[in-house]
Amino acid sequence: MAINQVQSIKDSLKNKIRPAEDVVFKEFHTKEKYIEALYIKTISDETIIQDKLLKPFFEISSPDLFLDYLQSSPLVISFESEQKSLDEVIKGTAILFYQNSIFLFDSKVDRNNSVLDTTVETTIQGPQSGFSESLPTNLGLIRKRYPQTSLNVESTTVGTVSKTDVMIIHDAMRADPDTVTRIKQFLASIDVHMFQTGEQLLDIIKKSNRALVPVMLVTERPDRVAVNLAAGKIIILVSGSPFAVVLPTVMKDFMSSMEDIYQTYWVTKFLQILRYIGFLTSLVLPGLYVAVTSYNPELFRVQLALSIAGSRMSVPYPSFIEVLLMLFMMEMLTEASIRLPKAIGPTATTVGGLILGQAATEAGLVSNIMIIITSSVAISNFVIPINAFSFTLRIMKYFVLALGTLFGLVGVVVGFFMLIAYMVKLDSFGEPFLTLIQSKPSKE
Amino acid sequence: MKLFGKWGWMVIILLSIFLLNGCGFKDIDKRFFVVSIGVDIAKNSPKKYLVSLKFAVPSPSKDNPNEFAIVSESADSMSEAVRIIKTKVDKEVDFSHAKVIVLSEDVVKEKGNAGIYYWFSRRRDIQGIAWTAIAKPSALAVLKVNPKGESMPSNALLLSLGKEGSETPYVISEFIFDMKYKLIERGIDPILPIIEAKKDHFEINTVGLFNKSRMMLTLNPEETKILNFLRGREEKSASKVTKGNTTIVIDTHKVKTKYKIHTPRGKAPFIKVNVSVEGTLEEATRRVPNENLSTYEKATEKSLNREVEKVLVKIQKANLDPIGFGLRYRSRHFNNDDWEQWKRIYPAITFKVKTKVQIADTGLIE
Amino acid sequence: MNRYYLYLVLLNMLANVIIFVPKILIEYRYKGAVMGILIAVPIGIVLNYFYTKTITKFPEQGLPEITADSKHRWLKILHLGGFQIIWFSAGLITLIGFIDILSRFVNPEMPKLSLLAIYLAAIFLIIQLPTDRVMYILEIVLFLNLPLIGFIIFKAFTNEFLSWDSILEVGTHIFERPSLKSIAAATYCFSGYANLIIFNRVIKGKLKNWNLIVIFFLGLVNLFTTFLIPIGFHGSDGAQQYLYPWISTSDSLRLTYSPIERVIFLFLMFYMSITLISVSVHWHIAFELLKGTFKEKVSNKKNWLVLASFAGCSIVGVIFLNALLLDKLTVYWMIVRLGFEIILVGSFFFWARRRTT
Repeated sequence: MAINQVQSIKDSLKNKIRPAEDVVFKEFHTKEKYIEALYIKTISDETIIQDKLLKPFFEISSPDLFLDYLQSSPLVISFESEQKSLDEVIKGTAILFYQNSIFLFDSKVDRNNSVLDTTVETTIQGPQSGFSESLPTNLGLIRKRYPQTSLNVESTTVGTVSKTDVMIIHDAMRADPDTVTRIKQFLASIDVHMFQTGEQLLDIIKKSNRALVPVMLVTERPDRVAVNLAAGKIIILVSGSPFAVVLPTVMKDFMSSMEDIYQTYWVTKFLQILRYIGFLTSLVLPGLYVAVTSYNPELFRVQLALSIAGSRMSVPYPSFIEVLLMLFMMEMLTEASIRLPKAIGPTATTVGGLILGQAATEAGLVSNIMIIITSSVAISNFVIPINAFSFTLRIMKYFVLALGTLFGLVGVVVGFFMLIAYMVKLDSFGEPFLTLIQSKPSKE
Repeated sequence: MKLFGKWGWMVIILLSIFLLNGCGFKDIDKRFFVVSIGVDIAKNSPKKYLVSLKFAVPSPSKDNPNEFAIVSESADSMSEAVRIIKTKVDKEVDFSHAKVIVLSEDVVKEKGNAGIYYWFSRRRDIQGIAWTAIAKPSALAVLKVNPKGESMPSNALLLSLGKEGSETPYVISEFIFDMKYKLIERGIDPILPIIEAKKDHFEINTVGLFNKSRMMLTLNPEETKILNFLRGREEKSASKVTKGNTTIVIDTHKVKTKYKIHTPRGKAPFIKVNVSVEGTLEEATRRVPNENLSTYEKATEKSLNREVEKVLVKIQKANLDPIGFGLRYRSRHFNNDDWEQWKRIYPAITFKVKTKVQIADTGLIE
Repeated sequence: MNRYYLYLVLLNMLANVIIFVPKILIEYRYKGAVMGILIAVPIGIVLNYFYTKTITKFPEQGLPEITADSKHRWLKILHLGGFQIIWFSAGLITLIGFIDILSRFVNPEMPKLSLLAIYLAAIFLIIQLPTDRVMYILEIVLFLNLPLIGFIIFKAFTNEFLSWDSILEVGTHIFERPSLKSIAAATYCFSGYANLIIFNRVIKGKLKNWNLIVIFFLGLVNLFTTFLIPIGFHGSDGAQQYLYPWISTSDSLRLTYSPIERVIFLFLMFYMSITLISVSVHWHIAFELLKGTFKEKVSNKKNWLVLASFAGCSIVGVIFLNALLLDKLTVYWMIVRLGFEIILVGSFFFWARRRTT
């Protein structure tokens, strides 16, 4: 490269980066040679610069030998274009001007690379640590759990402003190539300013940006990622987020916990059935209560019907208002206990759940049976292992409730199947979201 | 079609549903549940029937769960009575939990009550699995009985008729759908249990036998038990036998009845009835040694033979057929006039009863 | 064994309760229904055989794709149009019949139109899905319902109030001359094969012969169950009095220990979903065939027009047809359907043979 060309690049780079407190442009001299470096010190690791750049610089006396050193160092890549260099500088790379060439010296500081404990998807047994917030560390965690040479890692950036690093990881031997290209196209088509974490993809996937059911799984567990890689799924890692996105995801994945493979067969089967029952209970129970008490009290046996009637005697408003009221209180309680600091979270639950429920029945505002129903709805809602789906379920039950209020038993049954039909209609990157027997169309 | 957008359509659909949806929503505490229905003959009134409905009054506390209200009305028909009763109560009358229907003795003895019997089946909200029974002395009296420890009104009746509580061979319970079936089906006649109202309990141990329109015959408790044996519906029972000066009681745990209709050419037709009983000796006035059991078995067989035949003949003399011999005959003959044939055969048919009793042991002691 | 094919046939077998098949059979119980059933079984199997044999020559194709390049325009219109009307009316009768049942037994005070509204909403949601998705829903519905319906039937067979003598009494009328109406009604249980007209799209591989054997036994058991259990409960003389023999039969069953004591409500709840998917499958076929008759790609507007006409027909049907009238109409519809099916299977068979040789 000609000297004047280097000089012009140097000038234009210096112009484009606004002068700031932490922008460093420095020259280093020895007798034989000199080097110039441009970097931002807050996001660059100065110990790396010190150890890998300055020490050899002063130790190697011959200019040619040092050029050889630079060219062969794994941290150094050669200059491609001005724009690329700019993008790298703002991520922590140092730009070196040595003799007639320009190098990009990878001195990115790797902050937040401590591995976090799992907090969202906890299990009793099995690995207890999750991802960190650093992309290389996360990739390392996956590599460690999935030592296969066929593991393919591609990286790209998403977000017009945030320019977030995103890695697409899949096992080339197992993943469906069509799905991989589909996912790459999808990532390329994303048009957002700030891309912070994989969860944002849940909404972006819908054209309208209004999704109800998540069609991708966001997980904080490296072991789940490894298992899913082996199952031919594709993983998206986002820089700065301790969550990985697993694609494509179907209903079955949302209903499975990592614990399923850490337990014995029958225990697993039992837990899985339990989850589906929980799903059904949480979805249908409020609607069913309204439908039965207000349209078809003949559904229950007479003893039960009379005791419901008795407990509702003092309630001054129709059943659906009672249900809405209690569900509303429950949602409030759930939200409150998420927002509260961990230390006083349990207090809120106790006060809200126990005392409020007791007092409400005493005051005759809601019936005893309603309290039981509300709490069982809430409890069974949290049986769903994946949080994103359990939130969806929280919304879906209101749909069944609304139809149950309007049409009675018919509304509950038809509403349930409408939701089923809606979920069957969805697909996650070519894979149907809900089928009874999950099989890939390509395999058959 | 793009006029409203997606949400606009939703709103329109929902609104139209709300408009369509005028009624139907009625909370459980705005309903008055009928738990039992009683029909009497009206006295001192120009109307024909006295219809009583027993409502369960739900109470918020657990202290007195057994509150009820009985509303009666005399009318010429069921629907008329129900319409008038509706004006007497403040809540919606709900028949969907009417689990017991009692008809008084006077009603079932009379002809021309088919309208009532069919009314129950015709109404969509009265369940087919409502227990039906004859009330003595009157339906109202049966409804009024308030047994101790009842957890809800009419629960005592439900338990004893449904055999969830006590299981006895003296109760032959009947659903309303089955009664209707037997009223129509040629070759089998209805049986209804008779509930006798005592001060604070019921006594159900006799049955009334119907022809196609009214009650013709009542059986005493022992005959009821034999009839139950013959229908093969109840296995737990007891049978008392006297041999010489020893009286023993056998606790049966297996009773099986088979019958076959024989119409040999040129000879008199007969019905062969085989009853096999298995049980244990439960009580004896004297010591019964194990090696002598077979003689007691023989004695029991003999007395059972006699009893069964007596009951069968009694029923036959009244020209009734609660067991369904006629239906059996029809179902085994391919010709179309089998029913007419049977009507000729039945009054003259003879019964050949053969019982087989097996006493397994004499309990824990000899 | 191809499970999708069995599902389709099974669906019709289950839905026959709503579409008055038991009512028609019981009406003719002394006039040749038994023989009618025995004759209907071979007819059904033969139709199944020829149709599946023919359509497996065109793997993963529905009729619109198969006939896309056909020169026989009249044949195409006959096939597409004829089946369209038959399947649309099948769905319509099922829907109107079930709305009537619902308004009688579940929501007596609710206007029929509002019951219809919710059903139409769900049906329209389902019929616009791709064919394979409709199949998935069908699979889920059957998976959720079959065990419990099986349980109810088991309960019915072991019930002490089931009178085998009454059933046998009807059986003794086996040698009566069979009536066309009972044959037509009984063959409805087998006509699920005709769903292949569109659903062949999702069927992979050849249909083996022993599918037919399974269907033979299923059909026989199914027909005798639909026909004889109501008779066992309500009598050989009395069963024909009931407007909906099976609903009344389920009302005669009692689950002693279940929180839902009356089986009728369990039964109705299952049939809510069975009817939903049955109508959806039939209308999905009608809808797809209708799309197939248009030459160019169907626009959104036309889609809505078709759905609106479906809705219009069902609203008119619900308003003007009461149960008795519907029952009478269904008898004749069954005969027309049987005739049509035979013509279609025959013509399709010969047309396909000429084309492939």
